[in-house]
Amino acid sequence: MSTVPSELAVETEPKGVLPTGSAPTPARRVITTLRKSPAVVVSVCIIVFIVLLAVFAPVLSAITGWGPYDYDPSAIDSDLGGIPIGPLGGISAEHWLGVEPGNGRDILVRVAYGARVSLMIAVSATLITTTFGVIMGMIAGFFGGLADQVISRVMDFLMAFPSLIFMIALLSALPAGNRPALLVLVLSIFGWPYTARVIRGQTMSLRNSEFVEAARASGARPLKIAFREVLPNLRGTIIVLATLAVPSYIGTEAGLSFLGVGVMPPTPSWGQMISTAVGWYAVDPMFFLIPGTFLFLTVFSFTVLGDNLRRVLDAGDAAS
Amino acid sequence: MSLASPRTISIPVPGSTLLEVEHLTVTFPTSAGPVDVVKDASFRVESGDTLGIVGESGSGKSMTSLAIMGLLPRGGTATGSIRLNGHELLGRTDREMRRVRGDKVAMVFQDPLSSLNPYYTVGLQIEEAYRAHNGGSRRNARTVTIEALERVRIADAARRVDHYPHQFSGGMRQRIMIAMALCLEPDLLIADEPTTALDVTVQAQILDLLAELQRETGTGMIFITHDLAVVSQVAQDVLVMKDGAQVESGTAEEIFSNPRAAYTRALLDALPRIDDPFDELKGAAR
Amino acid sequence: MTLTILRRVLAAVGVLLLISLFTFLIFFWLSPDPAVQICGKTCTPERIDQIRTQLGLNLPFWEQYWQFLSGIFTGRTYGEGAAAIDCAAPCLGFSFQTNESVTDMIVARMPVSVTLAIGAALLWLLAGIGGGLLSAVKQGTGWDRGVMMTALAGISLPNYFVALLLQYLLVVQLRWLPFPQSVTFAEDPLLWFQSYLMPWLVLAFGYAAMYSRIVRTNVIDTLGQNFMRTARAKGLDGPIVLRRHALRPSLTPVVTLFGMDFAGLLGGALITETVFGLNGVGKLTADSIAKNDQPVIMGVTLLAAALVVVANMLVDVAYTYLDPRVRVKSA
Repeated sequence: MSTVPSELAVETEPKGVLPTGSAPTPARRVITTLRKSPAVVVSVCIIVFIVLLAVFAPVLSAITGWGPYDYDPSAIDSDLGGIPIGPLGGISAEHWLGVEPGNGRDILVRVAYGARVSLMIAVSATLITTTFGVIMGMIAGFFGGLADQVISRVMDFLMAFPSLIFMIALLSALPAGNRPALLVLVLSIFGWPYTARVIRGQTMSLRNSEFVEAARASGARPLKIAFREVLPNLRGTIIVLATLAVPSYIGTEAGLSFLGVGVMPPTPSWGQMISTAVGWYAVDPMFFLIPGTFLFLTVFSFTVLGDNLRRVLDAGDAAS
Repeated sequence: MSLASPRTISIPVPGSTLLEVEHLTVTFPTSAGPVDVVKDASFRVESGDTLGIVGESGSGKSMTSLAIMGLLPRGGTATGSIRLNGHELLGRTDREMRRVRGDKVAMVFQDPLSSLNPYYTVGLQIEEAYRAHNGGSRRNARTVTIEALERVRIADAARRVDHYPHQFSGGMRQRIMIAMALCLEPDLLIADEPTTALDVTVQAQILDLLAELQRETGTGMIFITHDLAVVSQVAQDVLVMKDGAQVESGTAEEIFSNPRAAYTRALLDALPRIDDPFDELKGAAR
Repeated sequence: MTLTILRRVLAAVGVLLLISLFTFLIFFWLSPDPAVQICGKTCTPERIDQIRTQLGLNLPFWEQYWQFLSGIFTGRTYGEGAAAIDCAAPCLGFSFQTNESVTDMIVARMPVSVTLAIGAALLWLLAGIGGGLLSAVKQGTGWDRGVMMTALAGISLPNYFVALLLQYLLVVQLRWLPFPQSVTFAEDPLLWFQSYLMPWLVLAFGYAAMYSRIVRTNVIDTLGQNFMRTARAKGLDGPIVLRRHALRPSLTPVVTLFGMDFAGLLGGALITETVFGLNGVGKLTADSIAKNDQPVIMGVTLLAAALVVVANMLVDVAYTYLDPRVRVKSA
């Protein structure tokens, strides 16, 4: 019985195909696939709506004639303790989503400005943590050794922190100043390890893939390899991470504002509005329901989008 | 096509071939319409013989074996006829097929590491296969298991039966898979690329082992591979598949010495020979 | 084996030390002078200085930190002479605002947080794992979509919103439950149960949502693994295949996650306790932050971190028993 080497095989199934080792799924294919899912379409519409609401908040304010800090004593009944006049928390032609009890501020306009603040903080934090997280993750994953040890220890340390407590304590101890900027800073400090950890893991598996070895063999410098070979393959992961980070930060900021350490009044923030609404929830439930619903819809939509992006990008990688 | 009760599947119809496949077609629904991954395949396997199915990835060779086992992935349908010892397998309920699987037709897969559950000892995994079909006590099953491991030449079987899959080498894991398949004494063994994931030297050992066990037990075997060289060592009959269709079939000698289909010829031409001139390799396999 | 455990313990201690240092540092810089707080209205600079010396606040940073650390193991005495305050070990600090040792304050409120954690954990494990399994096994059907929609809602709804909503519906509108009150089980079992029910539900909802998604993904992944195919090829029964071969690989990661989450809850569910007025460690933290009671904040932070770090360690050890591949290889 002769033994013939199996290199003479007709065609070998590629062994050990890495899920992230294939060419990135073209953007167009992703978009077409996503368009077919009704959940995604609805979510994107909601996101677009909220973004427009935030961007055009001043315009909205001009149209309705109410600013976010304008009181309207005529819309509330001071004899009854400041309850809004009219059904559903004072919805009327004047105030499309009603007014806040106690001061009569227009809720729609405040929700719009709140959207501004929340989105700005969340997007800024996402940009910072994604950038920093990708850089740190790639350094740790690609170069290994001491760099990896140091970065990983720092990440473990930050993730072991009871971050909520710390953020609250930090924010309450610091002077008022520029609250949104402070929030972005605090969120970013505790947020980047989560991105970095995922990137690190993927970089490590990519490091051992064939095309990286080929680049290395051809004498390319490590930095070049990192940017040319590894980073493009991380594109999908980065997009998904960023998309899912936004709702996470929106939620955290809302929570911090709810506790009174985030965005300070009178600047509106959805979490803060809900916090104020706690005192009124039995008599004017709309006051907490409206900002709460906006908060929920925003977080929900981003999460649906992120989930579906991940699904499509995973499937794309697997198919190729 | 008698849909006899499961119990009678055990009794072969007198005068029947071990496995007879006729006009087997496997179809999957896709977004672009239904696709036939196996088109009208027909072949037979006799007891004690080995049929080699050769083809590239995507040729439908694995799907054929999954159809025989009734293990097609979700959405797949098989039409035609698959007769084991004279009994029709297609159209049977999952419950009926469960009696067939392992006991009458056993399968060995390509990657032994991922084909074994990493959370359980190899002993347990073989025992459960044995007990699922033969019942009996755990102690009895364990004895059978250790014997099976010894038969596939796992050293120190009595101790290693309690080890986990990751504690064995690739070649040993494949032996364990073979032991698991053969401890049930099946009539037919389907080996789907059993040596592809292994080193060359280990590959030879596994092929030797399979041949020896087949001689001892008289089991029929279907050996699926993309590697023509391996086929030439193990099979009496060969079936060449491409894109789901059966391109050529015949005995091994016929195929290798006198291939009729252009595809088969191209496959053989792609094998370098010692007397080939250096400057030219005859046409590619495509 | 013991060497690895020892190394892990050392690493955990190291992390804790670092966290304690960090926390101490931050509050050292940021906190208002406690001496001023204690001194009150009729204050003179001499009196402030007196209090500062008494509290050891005039000492250099490292000495203060050392006093704090050693106090955890050996107890501490603040001040001297007649006005000396004894803080028994483990001394996590002393709150001059409430005149209690931080440890005592925490211990008094632990039972509430523990009750909250255990009740919620039982609920969310049941719902989360059950939901995830159901979804995975019935993948693509209405069950799957339904469960996943609910889960999605669960992770998108902030728990204070759910708390308010639930309280509005169940207490104010439908009057199915009374307002939550602070009673012990011994005093009034029914009221105790009714008071904890909503906080349990609120907490469990969020976690169950997260867990069902994870379990679903894990089970679907596992079902696609090659060894599942082998199990079926051996002719094994469907439910057996699922139970024996699919559960362990799918649920083992969940165990580790659960360990961390549960430990985190033991450190107090800040928001939930605040919203429902439960007097647990979480509420203590929130109140202390509002009052700027620095020693309490420090103590609770350290405790919460310690719980998470210890849980992390335990979970790592547990994993070596659960996953054979992680155990030390032999032969």
